[in-house]
Amino acid sequence: MKVARENLAWQKHQKHVPTIDEPGGKLWGCFRSCFLQSAAPYTEGIAYKILKNDLGMDLREAPGHTSCGAIGYHGDVSNVETQMVVAARNFSVAHHELGVDNLFSFCVTSFANYTEMIHLWEEEPELREYTAKTLKETTGREFWVPHVSGGRPSVVHASDVFFANRHQLAAKAKYSLKGIKAVDHIGCHYGKIFPGEAMGGVEFPQVLVGLLEAFGAEIVDYPERRHCCGMGFRQCAFPENRDYTASSVYKKMKSLKEAHPDCNLMLTNCPGCTVFLDAEQGTIKEVLEEEFNVSVLDYAQLTGLMLGYDPFKDCGLNAKAVLVEPLLDQIGIPYDKSKTAEERRRPF
Amino acid sequence: MGKLFNELKEDILYQHGMNACLNCGVCTAVCPAAEFNDYSPREVMNTVQSEDDELIIELLKSDKIWYCGQCFSCKTRCPRGNNTANVILALRRLSIRYGYFTESEKGRQQLFAKRVFGENMLKRGYTLLAENITPAHFPELGENWEYYYEHREEMREWWDVPMDLENSPGSHRVIPEKDMEELRAIYQATGAIELMDSVEKSMEKKLGSKKEVEKYWQTWLETGDSRNYEIKDNK
Repeated sequence: MKVARENLAWQKHQKHVPTIDEPGGKLWGCFRSCFLQSAAPYTEGIAYKILKNDLGMDLREAPGHTSCGAIGYHGDVSNVETQMVVAARNFSVAHHELGVDNLFSFCVTSFANYTEMIHLWEEEPELREYTAKTLKETTGREFWVPHVSGGRPSVVHASDVFFANRHQLAAKAKYSLKGIKAVDHIGCHYGKIFPGEAMGGVEFPQVLVGLLEAFGAEIVDYPERRHCCGMGFRQCAFPENRDYTASSVYKKMKSLKEAHPDCNLMLTNCPGCTVFLDAEQGTIKEVLEEEFNVSVLDYAQLTGLMLGYDPFKDCGLNAKAVLVEPLLDQIGIPYDKSKTAEERRRPF
Repeated sequence: MGKLFNELKEDILYQHGMNACLNCGVCTAVCPAAEFNDYSPREVMNTVQSEDDELIIELLKSDKIWYCGQCFSCKTRCPRGNNTANVILALRRLSIRYGYFTESEKGRQQLFAKRVFGENMLKRGYTLLAENITPAHFPELGENWEYYYEHREEMREWWDVPMDLENSPGSHRVIPEKDMEELRAIYQATGAIELMDSVEKSMEKKLGSKKEVEKYWQTWLETGDSRNYEIKDNK
């Protein structure tokens, strides 16, 4: 059968991520994120609960695995050679110490970094040789490359794992997003560096939209949907550069509100986007007296809410600039109304 | 063709980033940094293609290469598969190796990058740590973040993401020393330590002494804005 051109493009942008019902889909090695652990630690907590308790996964991570170092790579304190050997070390630790073949990372920059290193090894055989040799010389460890997606050299992102298991998750959901307008915001390092590695490509990636749709949301579109949040590594880390971040968030939110004033839910899969798309709305409110009130939730936080986890204790919606209660009311998720917003967020 | 350009051309990131620029300007049209700053990816690609060392040195001394937010929107959109963000990485390494970064305000911020991302990696195995996101440097995170920051150990226990546990899997754990030694050996063997050292040395040369470098660092820590440190003309 002849396949239409647009469908050929679609096929090119599919990747296979094993679900819990497939061989190997329950045993995963995972790399935690230094951005998440420092700027949004609660997100990892809820992701773990869902993957372990609701999907029944065996998640393995070695005490000795390190950060991928890619914030330093894009923040200019390391070299591509450094990144290659650090990546190879983390892969080797996961495979040879923990016995896992499938790996995902919680951070999109780690995902992009590991993907970049795997691509370099595939395209430049001498770099693969350099990496294996340097890894052996510096650590004594053996080189190993993961083949997660469809048996080709690859790793995936945690949101890919949620996407792959979205129907199993939706079947367990206590609440629905029926009648709720929502939009995705894909991390640049998930889709833009290697569009072929993004579930559905970079123009219309399915990874978050698929999850939102599985929970019943109505997806909206707006002109600046693919505009970066402006995190920028050196931009978000140094206060004097954060006008760039705030300006990017302003441009996005203004565009969304012009197109869909009643869309108050944005789903993300990048720690930087999750933090700054929310926080800079606070800055904009203070500086320009403009309010957008878009709740920015990470895919794990939203899934946690849908599954009935506590919005604050489990999903960690304690430190958001935008009040989350109006969204919870809209969805019909209960919370302790005898407490003030401040009391709900400050348990000690 | 100059010596510096030859060095740039040897960089794998340049080789993978520069295929054949047709000067269409799509990279600049989609670039968030070009929208808000005096920065144009197209101009960067034109300058490096001139193969003229003088023009490249001028670029390496300017703020421009530091404006890129590394989002890689340029890579996605380029009809010829170029990748300005990668070329920028190659240019930044060159600027650091030759000390040109000290000639621009944004370039001098490399000291903070080195002392935060770099030293965190070497000391703890992470580029970012919970204590880095201080309310003073991140006021937009708001009062609830201030509360979290003051109670971060209890809050993280409450969220089931405890911090600073020894020899345990998980977020913000203390990585065993034998693993840290392996990581440091990798950073040493792959030239990252040398790159970081050149930041300190070049800043010392630019500001006149180690003491002045510490003053510059303290100014940033205390005010969150390096522009509050005045660079003296004779240095």
